[in-house]
Amino acid sequence: MAILVGLVLAVVGFVAGTGILGGIRTSMGLEYWSTDMSWSVGYPVALIGWLIGVGGWKYWAVEWFGGKAATPPKGVKRYFEWNMDHKVIGIQYGVTFVVLFLLSGLTAMLIRFELMNSGMQLFTEDQYNSAMSFHGIGMVAVAVAIMLGAFGNYIVPLQIGARDMAFPRVNALSYWLVPPVAIMLIIALLIGGWDTGWTAYPPLSVLTKSGQVLFNLAVITFGLVSILGGINFIATIIYERAPGMTWGRLPIFVWGAFAGSLIAFFFTQGFAAGLLMILLDRVVGTSFFHAAEGGSPILYEHVFWFYSHPAVYVMVLPAFGAVLEVLAHMSRKPLYAYRWVVGALLGIVAISGVVWAHHMFTSGMEDYLHAPFLVLTEMISIPTGIIFLSAIGTIWAGRLWMRTPMLFALAFIFNFTVGGLTGIYLADVPTDIHLHDTYFVVAHFHYTIMGGEIFALFAALYYWFPKMTGRQFNETLGKIHFWIMFIGFQLVFIPMFQVGVKGMNRRVADYPEAYEDFNRFISWSGFLLGISFIFFAANMVLSWVRGERAVANPWGASTLEWQVSSPPPEHNFEGQPVIQGGAYEYGVPNAPAHARMGTAAATENV
Amino acid sequence: MNRHLWIAGILWVVFTALALAGAALMNPFPTVGAEEAEFSDHAFRLMTYMGAPVFGFVMAALLYSVLRFRSGGPGEDGPPIRGVGAVPRVWLLTTTTLAVVVMIYPGLTGLAELRSDRTHDLEVDVTGFRWAWVVQYPEGFASQELVLPVDQRVKFNVTAPAGDVLHSFWVPAFRLKIDAVPGQITNLYITPNELGDGATDAAYRVQCAELCGLYHARMQMPVRVVTAEEYQAWVAEKAGK
Amino acid sequence: MAAAVSHSHEHADPVAHAWHRVRINRLGLWLFLISDGALFAIFAASRFYIAGTAIDPHLNQLLGLAITSLLLLSSFSAYRAETAFAHGNTAHGRTMLLATILMGLLFVGGVAYEWSIAEFAASEVYGTAFFSMTGMHAFHVVTGLLFLAVIWARSGGGRYSQGPAVWPVTAVVIYWHFVDVVWVFFYPTLYLLK
Ligand code: HEA
Ligand code: HEA
Ligand code: CUA
Ligand SMILES: [Cu+2]
Repeated sequence: MAILVGLVLAVVGFVAGTGILGGIRTSMGLEYWSTDMSWSVGYPVALIGWLIGVGGWKYWAVEWFGGKAATPPKGVKRYFEWNMDHKVIGIQYGVTFVVLFLLSGLTAMLIRFELMNSGMQLFTEDQYNSAMSFHGIGMVAVAVAIMLGAFGNYIVPLQIGARDMAFPRVNALSYWLVPPVAIMLIIALLIGGWDTGWTAYPPLSVLTKSGQVLFNLAVITFGLVSILGGINFIATIIYERAPGMTWGRLPIFVWGAFAGSLIAFFFTQGFAAGLLMILLDRVVGTSFFHAAEGGSPILYEHVFWFYSHPAVYVMVLPAFGAVLEVLAHMSRKPLYAYRWVVGALLGIVAISGVVWAHHMFTSGMEDYLHAPFLVLTEMISIPTGIIFLSAIGTIWAGRLWMRTPMLFALAFIFNFTVGGLTGIYLADVPTDIHLHDTYFVVAHFHYTIMGGEIFALFAALYYWFPKMTGRQFNETLGKIHFWIMFIGFQLVFIPMFQVGVKGMNRRVADYPEAYEDFNRFISWSGFLLGISFIFFAANMVLSWVRGERAVANPWGASTLEWQVSSPPPEHNFEGQPVIQGGAYEYGVPNAPAHARMGTAAATENV
Repeated sequence: MNRHLWIAGILWVVFTALALAGAALMNPFPTVGAEEAEFSDHAFRLMTYMGAPVFGFVMAALLYSVLRFRSGGPGEDGPPIRGVGAVPRVWLLTTTTLAVVVMIYPGLTGLAELRSDRTHDLEVDVTGFRWAWVVQYPEGFASQELVLPVDQRVKFNVTAPAGDVLHSFWVPAFRLKIDAVPGQITNLYITPNELGDGATDAAYRVQCAELCGLYHARMQMPVRVVTAEEYQAWVAEKAGK
Repeated sequence: MAAAVSHSHEHADPVAHAWHRVRINRLGLWLFLISDGALFAIFAASRFYIAGTAIDPHLNQLLGLAITSLLLLSSFSAYRAETAFAHGNTAHGRTMLLATILMGLLFVGGVAYEWSIAEFAASEVYGTAFFSMTGMHAFHVVTGLLFLAVIWARSGGGRYSQGPAVWPVTAVVIYWHFVDVVWVFFYPTLYLLK
């Protein structure tokens, strides 16, 4: 209902915004409608209409004008409108992004269908470029936001013993900015798509069709989501920890979320700034990237990668946290080298901001930049290596309980080793000059993003599913999902390394026949991989609706979120929990329990 | 505990040996058509050799743990090993050493090597525009086919017209690429050392390697590396027209 | 940092709780400003990347100096407003807010005038830098003015008087200082180089 109101107000806002612009334009003797400019002006107004409609007015803004905010409803209804409970928001993020993930995955299936044979089968070149671009940005959005959005929101406050996030209203705001992103990307496809990939390099992005403008507006909005989310996590983790929850006792997932948020809030500006410059070039006629006037396309690459390299760590640092979390609890051992891991996470944050130009070794940038960026990039494998040490040390000699989340966490170690080590070939200029923009890169980043982050996502999803839904998932379906996904994944992306080295470049709708055998194999494996998600979707839907009721602590884990009911009560904790020991004291003789749960009676006078 | 370490250690050696053997036997590369290609493939192999023990280590520890340290539920706790003390320090030292080695060789040395020789026997201008390539030869004619004499060092001046978009000049058989940036000239030095023909070998093609819109995939141009005599004949024919 | 470990929500004492909220809000605001500052920094860096240190000779230097001084002065009055509210002196605080708004408006007017008389186009690289940087900054000034206006409109009746209740004023004033500091970097970057 609220969504409907939001959509109506968005349309009203759009019509009003473009109308006013159109009026001004007509009075200046110009045409009423100019796609680029009208969208740039109409969209922000539409966005405000949307936010007001979905509840931003009723539950928040009305207060500024002396009114009284409404109380949100209970039950299922609250998932479909503005709500400030971090648990509701976590589920909203989770469901939205899983849907976007399946949608972008479906596009990947179409891509694989097209690439099955040399020559064109399904798409025109133009449609291929749009599909590829949509797949890329859709997946990047999922990867950047789902871990923090879904599990960060739901789990972090629980794990640190807080009642909610530091800024619940900003939290609701940042979630409700997400649907417009997806809607804009889909409208962009409908009005003809765009053909600049997820990277939107100018001058092409300045010259190409108007779908590009919608892409830019959508992604700038998405940047705002990421920044607001990051700020919220930092403030929450600094100020909302329960008594006794010192920095040295924080569960590692919280550290991962903290480190990821540090990057998100500081670097996301880069992407937004780059896209804003493209919009200015297109709409106002500035010359940031217009070579004939003295502008420079390479400027964009610097600005863009200044964000988009750190972005890969926004994806993967919370994932590291989630994986180590699962490994420790499911191996029943203390997290190995906890302090080193924390240092490594912060080390990655520190270095991530100074490696961006490794994406630009063939861009024609100044020669003297090659050496420092090569060195700094390879330095980042040192802190990343510490994470691996911790993972291995944690499972070594443990009591590994091979349930679905554990399988995904272990697969993460395998996949990310492959992805990380192939990153070294790319960081090395002599090899990168050949490998840049080939399927070797495509394989590298699917191994790191999908094999790393998405596998970690599923580990987290299965691990926290009972807590978030109050239901237990079906273990058999979960294992089937895992094995098909794991095997399918290897079969799809290992051959991509090979075909890339052989000379197949990426982002092509068609390729020389010489690469046909590889591609056929990759495509069939791709469909196998796709099938695994049918088991996943079935498991989620069936278990959520009629799964067995979950107990409070099905994994026997020590951290705080498992000490409350599944799902947790409305205000998370009956009383004030007090932390009195580390989070992973498995097998430590005489260790105090991680937390002492307060009783409601003790804090009656809230 | 010690027995576990021994077996996992042996597993590590076995995995590393397997990975090394695989790396030594494999030939993932396209046709080697230039000195620069040999150089790049060498660096690639070297990194594979260096990666093998790292990969083997992670795999050995992972596989052994998965096979030997199972349990059926959260009943019993593992030993409280915390990872303080020597192990993390040794790990840090080892990985840092490895990283520094890769940085220096084949990294920085390779970079220096690539830059070292700026002499050339032949200089051609390459322009990329949506969606084709044109080569301008010093004799004053333009060609839509890249023909090069074998064993001559060629300097490429690559560019794109000011109103165009980014492209990238890449010949897989030569292993080098550089972007064609509107309004800017970028350079590449290549010494082809094998005869080759784009009609029969996909590695001998100029392929645009920077997304440039609609026909990016089709932005190709055949490459032919020929003997000095053939080259002279070809030039004479072209220039004569 | 250990001292910051709070008793997150269970404050028996509402005043302590209010102060706790102020601390959180202050951190949130600062994080936002740092993040926003990164955006400004990227634009400033881009100016050097595409246009070097060149300056268009047609700039009206006198106007530039005048609006810069105004903005600096307005930061001072904003500061006075905040202290006045903190001391419970609502009337003086409101006057100072008005003065700030007035100077802010003049600043925006000055920028608009500079735009209208500029003899360089947005399509030249210097124009690209000039219009995008001043435009983005002016956008922030205008939002700051809106915030100031809201605060001014609601400040009757002693709503923002003393203690944690002053926070909304403080927040807007910090934001205003931030916008001012950005200009302190932008002004020489756009007007004074070479
Ligand atoms: C989650 C995402 C993610 C992650 C974590 C990484 C991690 C790394 N990436 Fe990757 N990368 C991408 C996503 C990611 N990347 C994407 C999306 C692109 C393409 C973008 C586009 O163009 O569209 C890309 C492209 C890309 C390039 C540009 C390629 C090109 O276009 O030419 C380079 C070059 O340096 C690179 C390097 C690295 C390195 C060195 C790491 C390191 O962080 C890896 C570190 C990890 C290890 C090394 C393994 C574990 C360590 C040990 C076991 C210790 C011992 C090891 C040693 C001492 C070596 N990546
Ligand atoms: C999170 C990141 C992520 C993930 C998970 C994936 C997943 C996949 N990717 Fe993606 N990919 C990217 C990020 C990602 N990709 C990026 C950033 C690019 C670069 C774009 C650019 O160059 O700009 C890219 C580019 C890219 C290319 C190169 C295109 C080109 O250069 O021309 C290819 C080619 O094969 C590919 C394939 C796949 C495949 C087969 C999957 C598979 O894993 C997909 C698996 C399938 C599904 C997840 C859906 C299955 C669904 C069903 C079967 C229906 C069931 C539905 C319901 C029940 C509702 N990807
Ligand atoms: Cu030209 Cu791609
Ligand atoms: Cu990177």
